[in-house]
Amino acid sequence: MDQALRAVADPTRRAILRLVRDGDLPAGAIAAHFPSMSRPAVSQHLRVLSDAGLVEVRPAGNRRLYRWRPEGLRDAAAFLEEMWSHRLARLKAAAEREEERP
Amino acid sequence: MNETDTRAIEQTLRIGARPETVWRYWTDPQRMCDWWGVGAELDPRPGGTCRVEMGAGPVMQGEFLELVPYERIVFSFGWESPDGVPAIAPGSTRVEVTLSPDGEDTILTLRHTGIPVAHADEHAAGWGHFLPRLAQAAAG
Repeated sequence: MDQALRAVADPTRRAILRLVRDGDLPAGAIAAHFPSMSRPAVSQHLRVLSDAGLVEVRPAGNRRLYRWRPEGLRDAAAFLEEMWSHRLARLKAAAEREEERP
Repeated sequence: MNETDTRAIEQTLRIGARPETVWRYWTDPQRMCDWWGVGAELDPRPGGTCRVEMGAGPVMQGEFLELVPYERIVFSFGWESPDGVPAIAPGSTRVEVTLSPDGEDTILTLRHTGIPVAHADEHAAGWGHFLPRLAQAAAG
């Protein structure tokens, strides 16, 4: 979930998610919405979203179409399971540091 | 999805610190920011605010419900949904944390209940994926 949260923390990526929520779009059409941004920068955002499981990519002819992957985050239980797992590990480390025990 | 369609999460881990120390990580905003969130507003008494800014996305909005010093903390848990994050209505889920001393260590058990689920078949893969990580976190 930290990966998913990091992915949605960025306003550009949230804007991309909104774009692809209603239908599949090729990278070029997505990039056209962000004229002040370079294509590689947009591609990098798409990769982060894809790695986090928030969008999926499918080939269509010579293009790649991106689409919203609702199950990527709609599953609150998996989301929270991972969040607690990460966070409690950090709590453990911090509390052990405070008592200066390895 | 109907309202009874919820799931619970339970995680247990051993911490090499005393319950008194672990307790402070749930009740002191500064310490809470060492492990959860970039900002926290905590008023650790029944009915008091429990608000954690998670930095990358949602702000957890809850309320302390029960506090038994060094033993048990219960709070409600919810957040407004930023894009892509599952919505959890404020007050709709509940987190119970128990701390049990074991020698010089603490056994922490966290139980998060009332979590809305979508469809069971979408979850099967998720559980298989997360359980190994949980074991790793617990061992770590």
